[in-house]
Parts: sequence; C-alpha cells; structure tokens
Amino acid sequence: MKTKFAVVLLALLVTALGRSLLAGDSAEPSRAAEPSRASALLPAKDACCVVAPAATTAAPCCAVVEKSAPCCDPLPAGAPLSARSLYQLDAKWTDDAGQTVKLASLRGQPVVVAMFFASCEYACPVLVSDLQRLRAALPSAVRAQTRFVLVSFDVVRDTTAVLAAYRAKFPLDAAWTLLRGEATDVQDLAMLLGVKYKQDARSQFAHTNLITVLNPAGEIAHQHPGLQGDVSEAAKAVEAVAKRVSVAAKAE
Amino acid sequence: MPSTLPRLVAALALTLAVSAGPVRAEDTLPPAPAGMVVIPAGNYAPLIRTKDEPERVPVAAYYLDERPVTNAEFLAFVRANPKWQRSRVSPLFADRGYLADWAGDTELGPRVPAASPVVRVSWFAARAYAAWAGKRLPMTAEWERAAAAGFTTANGGTEPGFPAYALVWFSKPTPDTLPAVGLGRPNFYGARDLLSLVWEWVDDFNTAMVSGESRGDTGLERTLFCGAGAAGARDLTNYPAFMRAGLRSSLRASYVVPNLGFRCAQSLPL
Repeated sequence: MKTKFAVVLLALLVTALGRSLLAGDSAEPSRAAEPSRASALLPAKDACCVVAPAATTAAPCCAVVEKSAPCCDPLPAGAPLSARSLYQLDAKWTDDAGQTVKLASLRGQPVVVAMFFASCEYACPVLVSDLQRLRAALPSAVRAQTRFVLVSFDVVRDTTAVLAAYRAKFPLDAAWTLLRGEATDVQDLAMLLGVKYKQDARSQFAHTNLITVLNPAGEIAHQHPGLQGDVSEAAKAVEAVAKRVSVAAKAE
Repeated sequence: MPSTLPRLVAALALTLAVSAGPVRAEDTLPPAPAGMVVIPAGNYAPLIRTKDEPERVPVAAYYLDERPVTNAEFLAFVRANPKWQRSRVSPLFADRGYLADWAGDTELGPRVPAASPVVRVSWFAARAYAAWAGKRLPMTAEWERAAAAGFTTANGGTEPGFPAYALVWFSKPTPDTLPAVGLGRPNFYGARDLLSLVWEWVDDFNTAMVSGESRGDTGLERTLFCGAGAAGARDLTNYPAFMRAGLRSSLRASYVVPNLGFRCAQSLPL
C-alpha cells in the first residue's frame, strides 16, 4: 500500500511543478490520459499569426504578405469568424457607459484583454499598470489602433457606475473598454483565455494574472502571465498583429 | 416563568428527534427527478484553503444524476444539436480527439457501448449537454460532498473499509472498453460510480489550485500545489480527493480525455 501512496504523492508533486497530472503521470499509467493540448498557456499551433512568447519576430505569415497564407488575408466585414476566434462568443456585455457590446465588435484591430475586478486590492491595479506600460511601449501608430479591454469577474459589485469610476480613477482613456457581463459569460471567457478565478470568503477574487493579445480575427496571438514582468514580448506580439491590420487596410 | 416548561418540552422533543437517528434526505426533501438522487444540505471542507477561507463551506441540497451520462444519451444530444457533432464542433470548444472513439458523427460503433459513460468530451460540451437536458454541471463542492459519502454513512472517511475501497479504482488500468454505468454499488445517497468509473467534469474546475495569495504573483506556479500548500491541507489521508484536485488543476475547458466524463446536477426548486 505504501507504494501506491508514494505513487499518488509523486503524481501530486508532478502537479505541483505546474505540469499536467495526466500527461506526467507515468507512474500510474492506468489513469494517465493525454489531454489533446498539453501547454497551459500557449495557444494551439495552428492558430493564425501565433507569436510564441519566446519569439522575437512575428510569425512568418504575419511578417511576409503572401496570398497563399489565408490567415493574412484581409478581413472583409461580415466574413465568417475563424475556427479559433474568441469572437464566436455571442455574449452581450455592458461597458462602463451602459452600452451593450459584443466581443465581435472588436474585430479588425489588435486587442489586449485582461480580466480583473474593481475592488481588487493589489493585483488588478498592478495588472492595469502593466497594461499601461505595454501600451506605452508600442510605436505610436500601433498604439493608436490597439484596444485595451478589461473584463470584470465581479458580476455583482462591478456595475457600470463602478466601472466608470474605475476608469476615472486611473484615468483610462477612450482606448480602453471596461466590460461587465453575466456570470456564465464571464466563466466562458475565462475558460477560453485560461484564466482561473475563485471568489473567497471576503468576496475578493483569487485569479490568474494574464494579459492576452488577440489578433484582428479574435484569435489568441500571445499570452503574458504574471505581474510586473517584462512586457516587451507582449508589445512585439501586438506590433505583429497590427502589421496584419495595416496590410489588410492597404489591400482594400 | 410560565413559558419555561414548554421550552423545556420542546428542547426535549428536539433532543429525542435528533437522537432517534439520522434523518434521511428523502424524508425531508422533495423527491428527486427520475434518474437523480438528493444530496442533502451540508458542509464541504475544501481540501486546501487559504487563511482567509472558512474551514467548511455550506452546500445547499441539490439533485445529482445517479450515474454518469452515457454514450447513448450524448448521442441523442449531438443529434439534436448538430454543432456539437464531431466534425462540426468548433476547435475553440473541443480539442482534436473529441468523441474520437465514436464510429461517426452520429454513430457509436462497436468499441463504444451505448450504456457506457461518454468520455472525450470537453467542459464546454458537457455544459452544453447539461443545459440541453435542463440541468447543469455540479460544482466542485457539490460533487465532493456527494463523493464523501460511504456506502452506509454520510462520511465515507470514517466508514470501515471505505477509504481502501476509494483507492481501488486508481490501482486498475482503464479498460479498452469502459463498463456500463450504474453497475457500481450505490453510496449513502444512492449515487453510483462516483469513485469507480471515470473522472468527472465539474462546473468550476478552473477554480482548483488558485491560492488566495495568487493576487501577489502569477498564481500559476509558486502558490499552487507546492509543499507548503499540501502541508496546509486539512485531510492528508484523502488521496482520491488530492488526485481529483490535481486533475482539475491540469485541465482546460477544451480538453478531451479518454477517461473523463461527467454527470449533471440540478438545484432544488425554490
């Protein structure tokens, strides 16, 4: 029996190292099950114009315009959404001005999205400040076309008025969109982004701090975990997807 | 003191009622819908908690499917909802491998018995099925509360032989063809197969392993399931619960896994 317990403990330690219990559970093959995508943070390899965190240049299909690269084709309005576009989410969100917003309305431009809640005592202000640093690091032409979107976990307390006050406090200009939504829609978005969150007894949310760059098609192009880190890779990712927008504009 | 006596009588009556034995859920709650069992209100002690979190979390009474959802039931769902068929499902909502062992979009085939639990389904697909069935996925606290019961008592942890039984599943390889659902011995609440057939999705699986202190850092590695976290765990002997927590923390909502299925839950009518 001791051996079995050791096996269980070993599997647990594997998890502690941030690896998939399933993929890494070689000592217990009976329960080993292979998730079809092992990486917790990287988007699928076939996502359009993916920029890996370690990459220093844009993916070839974004840097070089080729007619044969479908993911770099211009995005005509009304064209079907790509298979990996987050804009397939049909949820209706409300912004801090009380306007109804669908994520698909963000299509056609680089978008940087993060999840937060307004009464957050520590991480969220730092996360927003990271986003501001990221924005400042962008060339002005890219900065002008990039939207920054903050989506609240707190479906109860973060009313439009609270979000408006949050905007005023920083302040956040018109490039920023602050959204609130229904609990299931928040959960869906968090699931797709890979953001974990949990409300604690003090009604604070424990959550993953994650900055996600979406390309103009709404596909995840880059993710930056953590706080107060180097955001230069994320900035490069935004630049890479922005190039695609300008190429598309010229083509039109 | 005219009111003292009735109070004493009431207190005595209450004491007698309590000491008469546990009140079974079915005696006090509306009967469960067909194929579901009542999990009475109670407490769930999270496996790992932060210093801010209470030791016990109240869980309201709810209905839980007696057994996992079968291939036949999921087949009916995908027939009624073609966008969840294998060739049509969005890769955003289910990874490659979704229902991979089925013979076709609406055909189970010889390797997939109709009465066996459906597996290789993503969280998104499981949740869509539950909504279609007029139900929902159970929350972690709800599922764990149901699974904490033994065969004859509400607390399997103290039931002779039950903790050892709960480990048996981990010692056996997953068979090529999964057995039919409903063959497991019912637990105290009447639920079957919770600990003996497949892993099961829960609605809030993505809350697993988030530490309250993750606000202070990335929340992805340092504060999750490290040694300090395990040392703060409440019940170090509940290995199956640790395994489930570990599994949940490793999942993403689009993942499909050959031995991960689900069952549905329902809230009690208000």
